[in-house]
Amino acid sequence: MTTADQFNVQCLKKHFAKRQVLDEVAFSLQAGQTHLLSGDNGAGKTTLLRILAGLEKPDSIQIDLGKGPLNWRHVKKTLQHHALYLHQHPYMFDGTVTYNLDYAIGAKLTKRERQLQIDKALEWADLRQLSHAPAKTLSGGEKQRVSLARAWLKRPSILLLDEPTSNLDQESRHRTLGLLEAFKSDGTAMLLASHDPMHFPSLIDQHLRLDQGKLIRIDDQKLFEFDQTHPNFRSTA
Amino acid sequence: MLESLPRRNINQMESLTTTTLAALELLFSGNPELWEIIAISFRVSGVAILVASPPALLVAFILAYYQFPGRRLLISINSTLLSVPAVVVGLTLFILLSRQGPLGEWKLLFTQTAMVLGQIALAFPILVAMGHSALQACDRRAWETARTLGATPIRALITIMREARFGLMAALLAAFGRIIAEVGASMMLGGNILHYTRNIPTAIALESSKGEFAQGIALGLVLLILAFTLNAFLQHFQGKGQPA
Ligand SMILES: Nc1ncnc2c1ncn2[C@@H]1O[C@H](COP(=O)(O)OP(=O)(O)OP(=O)(O)O)[C@@H](O)[C@H]1O
Ligand SMILES: [Mg+2]
Repeated sequence: MTTADQFNVQCLKKHFAKRQVLDEVAFSLQAGQTHLLSGDNGAGKTTLLRILAGLEKPDSIQIDLGKGPLNWRHVKKTLQHHALYLHQHPYMFDGTVTYNLDYAIGAKLTKRERQLQIDKALEWADLRQLSHAPAKTLSGGEKQRVSLARAWLKRPSILLLDEPTSNLDQESRHRTLGLLEAFKSDGTAMLLASHDPMHFPSLIDQHLRLDQGKLIRIDDQKLFEFDQTHPNFRSTA
Repeated sequence: MLESLPRRNINQMESLTTTTLAALELLFSGNPELWEIIAISFRVSGVAILVASPPALLVAFILAYYQFPGRRLLISINSTLLSVPAVVVGLTLFILLSRQGPLGEWKLLFTQTAMVLGQIALAFPILVAMGHSALQACDRRAWETARTLGATPIRALITIMREARFGLMAALLAAFGRIIAEVGASMMLGGNILHYTRNIPTAIALESSKGEFAQGIALGLVLLILAFTLNAFLQHFQGKGQPA
């Protein structure tokens, strides 16, 4: 977190060609809280997450570090240090699941310490049986778990999730949800882009919606009470 | 008169057979002069590839991953360089390195170093072009995943090169295959000096014209075998390099 347990973003602007995708966006994330980011296709959810991960350059951004304005290079460094972005379709490096997990571990550890960490991560994401499987051949749900375990090894303070449950079946969605809850109770701040807030009933603390470049806070108590018979709601409530 | 024609053919056939046998004998008896020529070829071309690859692959990476003004121009200049004949590359370096040339003081003309320089110039555009397409084909998410997992830009670069290794291997093999068999630049810059700058292609070109067919055939066989081997590997790597 940048200051205490809060991370503030202001004046976030980004345009592509003539389109203002993000227009003076401002929000803050808190440790241990999950923000849902919704919006129509092309609203700019992915763009917002990628900027926060330091992977894409915005037209302007201010993050609250108590040090006055910083140039993009410094902001980018800070963002890359604190935040971790998970692609909608996770990328697996060519190699085993173990290789992929090992990638996320700092180079300073000894071989034994690394193996210990890897074992913990395999356990955490229930990947033990797959530890020697070539990661590129895994199913979508398994790749998602490897990618979450990789992130877990990094212990980022901010986790940026791009539609983590799209293309997953019910079973995989529940496992993903379980892992995200573990992140949450570890105190990770999460920003989760999704079309369907119903996929994460118990996880979401706040709902932000991107519309025409503006970010709006939505109070959706009603949304969750709305349809108690929704399958996702019922099975995790 | 009429009978002499078939006779001469038989003689030629016989002499071709004997020269080929002599060539094989040269090769397999470990003829020191022949193997020295082969060693020079491999050394010069090997060094050229080793020196050319790191900067060429870096250029390839920059072309594949960064947008900057002049990028398209650079790509089209590189494709033009691809088709410049080896003699022209040789001639250009010859003029630069010759006594009166701007780099004449280096006294490099007719040395192995000059040959290496010529082969670097020939290999570079191939490495850039093939490296560029190999890295371009590599998934963007590989770079982004590496970076977001905390890899430094250098480590991320090594990672994507590892992901694209089959395509990059193919680039190295193709470049090596081109420079080890080229005669124009080596002839002009090396001068075909025995024990020093005589390599496989210059030996074939010059010694054959003096009637030394056995050596020429032996060296030609070496190049043929090399071409087959490189090609087999190339096919192998290119097959593996296809995006799944
Ligand atoms: N690199 C780019 N160059 C040009 N335009 C881009 C680029 N990336 C995104 N855009 C545009 O920005 C807009 C927002 O895209 P973005 O991917 O952020 O939307 P999204 O909310 O994630 O959509 P989806 O729900 O479909 O994933 C789109 O109109 C898209 O075409
Ligand atoms: Mg998106």
